[in-house]
Amino acid sequence: MKNKVNRRQFVAHATTATAGVALGFHAPTIVRAATDKWGDLVGRLKYDGKPPERKKLKVDKDVDCCGKFDIRDETLMAGEDGGLANVYIYVRSRKFDICPELAEAAPKQVLLDNIDCIFKPHCMSIWCDKQEFHIVNSDPVAQNVAFSPLGDVPANIVLPPKPDKAAEATWKFRRKQRIPVPIACNYHPWESAFILPLDHPYVAITAADGSFRIPKLPAGELEFQVWQERIGYMDTPQWKKGRLEMTIEPGSNDLGTISLKPSMFEKK
Amino acid sequence: MTTTRLSAITELPPDVIRPIARAVLLCCLLTLVGCGSGSGRPAKFPLNAEGRRPGEITEAQTRAVEETLGKLLGTPDEPLVSDDAGLDIERIRLATDGGRGPFRRHCVKCHGLSGGGDGPAAVLLDPYPRNFRKGLFKYTSTAGGAKPVEADLRRTLIEGVPDTAMPSFTRLPNERIDALVEYVKYLSIRGETELYLLALVVDEDEYLPVHELAALASDEGIRPAEQLWAEAPSMAVVPPPRPPTDTPELLAASIEKGRKLYAEDDAQCVKCHGPDGNGQGEEEELFDDWNKPKKGVTPQQTAELAERYTLPIQRLRPRNFREGIFRGGSRPIDLYWRIHVGLKGTPMPAAGPAPGVPGPYKPEDIWHVVNYVRSFTKTEK
Repeated sequence: MKNKVNRRQFVAHATTATAGVALGFHAPTIVRAATDKWGDLVGRLKYDGKPPERKKLKVDKDVDCCGKFDIRDETLMAGEDGGLANVYIYVRSRKFDICPELAEAAPKQVLLDNIDCIFKPHCMSIWCDKQEFHIVNSDPVAQNVAFSPLGDVPANIVLPPKPDKAAEATWKFRRKQRIPVPIACNYHPWESAFILPLDHPYVAITAADGSFRIPKLPAGELEFQVWQERIGYMDTPQWKKGRLEMTIEPGSNDLGTISLKPSMFEKK
Repeated sequence: MTTTRLSAITELPPDVIRPIARAVLLCCLLTLVGCGSGSGRPAKFPLNAEGRRPGEITEAQTRAVEETLGKLLGTPDEPLVSDDAGLDIERIRLATDGGRGPFRRHCVKCHGLSGGGDGPAAVLLDPYPRNFRKGLFKYTSTAGGAKPVEADLRRTLIEGVPDTAMPSFTRLPNERIDALVEYVKYLSIRGETELYLLALVVDEDEYLPVHELAALASDEGIRPAEQLWAEAPSMAVVPPPRPPTDTPELLAASIEKGRKLYAEDDAQCVKCHGPDGNGQGEEEELFDDWNKPKKGVTPQQTAELAERYTLPIQRLRPRNFREGIFRGGSRPIDLYWRIHVGLKGTPMPAAGPAPGVPGPYKPEDIWHVVNYVRSFTKTEK
């Protein structure tokens, strides 16, 4: 599966990498550029079938507190209107320009709350160099937040019950990942979330109605990765291994509504 | 090398398994002697195919990863590191000594040639030997998920790990211990780089010439791993002075404080270690990071996944304080570190502070918990 775009980028990279020492040859760069250089990518993912029932999860720890919530499986979130939520769409190319406005506008923190005995939100992304991960416990029981990103330091954090001031923590991701990192709570095995650390801001997670928008992409050829928690790379006939090559034009780039067959979400 | 899928035989009753396991072990050892003595072909690091479906990694991909790693990091007999690697190549060479060094003599049977924790004896052991390839080490003194400092690895080598098959190497000369410490770091960095390369080549289908892969592996695999090792000393936890417990009253008061901290909800010690400290908490299904990927949602999935791993899935048992054996060491300072920084790669979290993370216990309080944990078996003098 030869990839045109990446291939060229790798060749470009190889000429610099052999000579250089510092990190970040493959990293995207924030540039000053004309305002007409940037384009948005929008679209909507639709689950083309009856929305699957979300199974009730076994809640057998801290039952006094957690037992009263209707905690359900979040691995496939399709709404009544067919909107498919919690799908990641992100730039996979290695070298491209980043719009400076995005660097200025990026919130300093990405928030994960432990509330009603689940992680909220369920899917997150983070721009490693610009943002830190802010973890909060809003529950009256202690929570644990554990994740082990590949090639990065592992986290295994205890958050005592609110209102203890230790019920908040911040964490820095040192490096980007190719796919979202699972987050677990060792006290409450039903809890699950994902975070995707990247070295750029070009990522969207589909909303409840399946829509997404990646703003201010650099115009030109880009490759995107599409990933969903249950199946991983969202492999369709058009998107081999969940990859999508596109030429982004300045302004709006609309992918329209993309219908996805229920059969592709059966577990591998 | 020998990477027999042994999961199939675990279905058999123990009296059948044992002779088979012994035979397998013997075969493996013979194979090992063959490659270790320099008689046959030169030793080769086995590819990390853990978790992969049979045939998932193509021959071309295998070759690409092996050639890249070989170019950057050498072979078991002739290891290499780049000049700016922060690793001491002389120590590494002493550990290997062209295939006759202490790592091959003492470590390989359990930890495997690549440090995958999958040596021929591994299947017989519970817990399994440490797999260095994920870059995770349980017994450390460093906060914030950091790598161990050299002193942590050295302590494990010198003291051994009680209640496991890891013996004490206290009789090895210091320079050999130092050599082994350096080689463990080397294997760990190599392992993490291999995981990065496999992800790139297999998961991402990047067919690249070896020199391009090597540039990427060096930049995004080796260097970040080395940086984490280099940062570890700055994350080392120095505990506050241990509160005096030289009278029975002071000791009793400290133990009582520890008991309360242990029982309260903040750190949730009881969930795993149980209210009686016997390791019988309510969390019944615990796995470490090396075994968790082998666990499917259903028993059938777990059985299917077993085909992809060298060693069968192994459960984790929270420590029973009443036995008084602590794998990371029984000294108060050892227990302090286990509680403060946690056991990396396991569900045991860090209860003390780290940068950005306040943690449920203040450092001085951890000493009370240490005294409480020790009180199950020890009376302080």
